[in-house]
Amino acid sequence: MAEQAQVLTWDDLAEGMAATVDFVVTSAEMRAFAALSGDYNALHHDASFAREKGFDGIVVYGGLIISKISQLIGMKLPGCNAVWMGLSLRFRKPLYVGQQARLEGTITRLSDATRVVGLRIEVRSEGRLLAEGDVEARVVQP
Amino acid sequence: MNVMDTAEIYRKLTSIFRDVFDDDSLTIAPELTAAALPEWDSLQHIRLVIAAEREFALKFSASEIGSLENVGEFADLIRRKL
Repeated sequence: MAEQAQVLTWDDLAEGMAATVDFVVTSAEMRAFAALSGDYNALHHDASFAREKGFDGIVVYGGLIISKISQLIGMKLPGCNAVWMGLSLRFRKPLYVGQQARLEGTITRLSDATRVVGLRIEVRSEGRLLAEGDVEARVVQP
Repeated sequence: MNVMDTAEIYRKLTSIFRDVFDDDSLTIAPELTAAALPEWDSLQHIRLVIAAEREFALKFSASEIGSLENVGEFADLIRRKL
């Protein structure tokens, strides 16, 4: 069953506000993302191949991590009134299938004139920073 | 006290406009309006305002932005707020 998106208005938002998404990417999600994206690179499906490339296991798609950012924006912060406008993201370390991770978004900027929210994005696992970046989302409400 | 002059404001605004409209040859003048640039829609307008807020490290209100008629008024607003 679909979860309900958070309903936040512009006046509910403040700099420093944060939300998190905890997730573990499964093999089934990897297969689904391969079919969705058309990216069947063995790095994302063959552990032996990934190890030959110097990784510890099957590397989660960067795009799949971005999909978790979409979840954070659309479901939590700012939630159902949000329209995603932009993203810059750097992948610093790989996330592996089956590895627990936490995505955190923190409001760093609010533009009253445009109702655009700036969020700092961080993805961590076991205390290590895996990815970081910035998001812009516009709050659209009646 | 910030002493950014009008020429410097226009230099930075030109860079912002070129980036937002992805046109390295774009030139701006005080009398330029959204109607004169077909690509200047509501989304690009938001991007201009956000970029200006970031570049000049200031914040606008909705009423300040809503009352602007052209680039010259935008530059004047920036200069007053610096």
